[in-house]
Amino acid sequence: MSTQIEPIKVADVGDIEDEEALVVDGAANGTGRDIAVFFSDGQYYALDDTCTHEEASLADGWIEGEEVECPIHSARFSLCTGAALCLPASIPARTHKVELRGDEIWLHPGVPVEGAVTEVTA
Amino acid sequence: MSGTVAPGAGGNVVIVGGGLAGFTTAQDLRKHGFDGRVTIVDPEGIPYDRPPLSKEYLDGSLPAAKLSFVPDDWYRDNAVELITDRVVALNPDEGLLELGGGRTVSAATTVLALGGRPRTLPIPGGDLPGLLTLRTKDDADRLRDLLVPGLRLAIIGAGLIGAEVAATAVKDGATVTLIDPVPVPLVPLVGAELAVRLHAMHAAHGVDVRCAMTTGISLAGEEYTVTLNDGSSVVADAVLVAVGIVPETNLAEAAGLATDQGIIVDPTQRTTHPGVYAAGDVARIRLADGTLIRRHEHWESAMNAGRTVAAAIAGVPLPAHGASWMWSDRYGVHVESVGDLVNGTPIVRSVDGVPVAAFRMEADGRMIGAATIDGGTAVRAARRIIDRGLVIDPLKLADPSIELKKLAR
Ligand SMILES: Cc1cc2nc3c(=O)[nH]c(=O)nc-3n(C[C@H](O)[C@H](O)[C@H](O)COP(=O)(O)OP(=O)(O)OC[C@H]3O[C@@H](n4cnc5c(N)ncnc54)[C@H](O)[C@@H]3O)c2cc1C
Ligand code: FES
Repeated sequence: MSTQIEPIKVADVGDIEDEEALVVDGAANGTGRDIAVFFSDGQYYALDDTCTHEEASLADGWIEGEEVECPIHSARFSLCTGAALCLPASIPARTHKVELRGDEIWLHPGVPVEGAVTEVTA
Repeated sequence: MSGTVAPGAGGNVVIVGGGLAGFTTAQDLRKHGFDGRVTIVDPEGIPYDRPPLSKEYLDGSLPAAKLSFVPDDWYRDNAVELITDRVVALNPDEGLLELGGGRTVSAATTVLALGGRPRTLPIPGGDLPGLLTLRTKDDADRLRDLLVPGLRLAIIGAGLIGAEVAATAVKDGATVTLIDPVPVPLVPLVGAELAVRLHAMHAAHGVDVRCAMTTGISLAGEEYTVTLNDGSSVVADAVLVAVGIVPETNLAEAAGLATDQGIIVDPTQRTTHPGVYAAGDVARIRLADGTLIRRHEHWESAMNAGRTVAAAIAGVPLPAHGASWMWSDRYGVHVESVGDLVNGTPIVRSVDGVPVAAFRMEADGRMIGAATIDGGTAVRAARRIIDRGLVIDPLKLADPSIELKKLAR
């Protein structure tokens, strides 16, 4: 992606329940693709919402620890790296950086993270 | 041409059959760091996934390239060799496999992941040329080429594949007759309540549903006539026979391995020959006490079996598998089931009088099975409840306002 997309505030801490996710519409986040912001075990993560196998929404999946399991055919993805952990998916999901600004959850659409989790800025 | 490929000094593995079970074996061997030679032999070439063949691939919404399990360069990157050929004979004592093309391949360890072939009907005309079956991509391509609006398609067998094809074909504008001797198919798989709802969807979408035994098929010119034991008959341009599969046991039998409606394996997926494993639809587990488990013919159990084989060969701890899970898609609804829907007491969850989920409970309050229609993560939650032996209040299970996920915690 050539142009830098501005970070956007997606929610306040507490808005996303544990092991739940919130979908940020593709048009609103500037990437054109829906992004799911997950909250699991006290950490926030963001991945492209659409399962790389077919078309399910990962936000509707089973979120546990550092993984999400697709609600349709049970492919599992790492919330940290986006890696496809089991078939039927073999293509990783794109990750996006999430940042906590005080009590606000900010998403950096299109900014990948590798193995990192939520970045907190004071 | 004849010759021996790869002496197999480092304990090479030859996987016969590149379906889900065979592919998973190769993938997991590499995940475990197995550094011997790994070869997959399959006449169908690059391994691919089958479930879309009756669904998105058949209706044209999923391109052929998306059927592959992994991008093509995965095989090179992971040093997994593909041989496009059929294994015609196996000599397990010498670790030799004979290929249709005349080559001989040697294997320290052989994995038979041969799947099954569609069952044929033992009736007059059951062997007519031109009758369709659906197991391979070629089968799906043949069916897809025929699926033009107005095609009169008779489907014999309303199980998973027959039902999915009926839904896909109706969407494509075909006129479909669906024939099955059982009034409500799939009861053992999803329980009676959901099976009734699913089966009723055929008629609601304009499929002519016949509850009858097929007694004969004949071909006059371009037209098939399927005769039924209720005295009626069905005239069709194409006939799909979808009455289950026969496990591909011939190779194993000829090689002297034990078979009984499947290649017999122990819980590590090892056959009665120590150098040979079997996995997927073709394999049937015999427990230490001699009990023969029913074969599963579902996607996840084939993957799990491949994982077990790979772990056994690589010498790492065997993975634990949860209760058996499957899904099916038809008429825009997504069906899932897990565990045992035959035994136990049913509890049904309904919304506005329509059953959306069914659970099976043991007398001691444990759940043994669950099925849903468009249930989201409910079956995944149920699986955890089953695998962990949790006891859940039946009233809560029947209450559609309570998310199952909350109960599984
Ligand atoms: C149309 C269709 C739809 C399905 N939909 C679903 C679904 O929605 N949900 C679900 O849970 N399951 C579904 N399944 C079932 C699932 O796909 C199977 O359980 C799974 O494919 C079994 O994998 P397998 O590796 O055991 O066998 P297969 O996938 O059948 O692979 C066996 C392979 O062995 C090869 N082979 C055979 N003989 C030889 C030989 N002599 N030498 C070399 N190679 C050989 C074959 O060419 C084949 O590629 C579906 C199956 C089909 C056919
Ligand atoms: S759509 Fe996610 S696993 Fe198939």
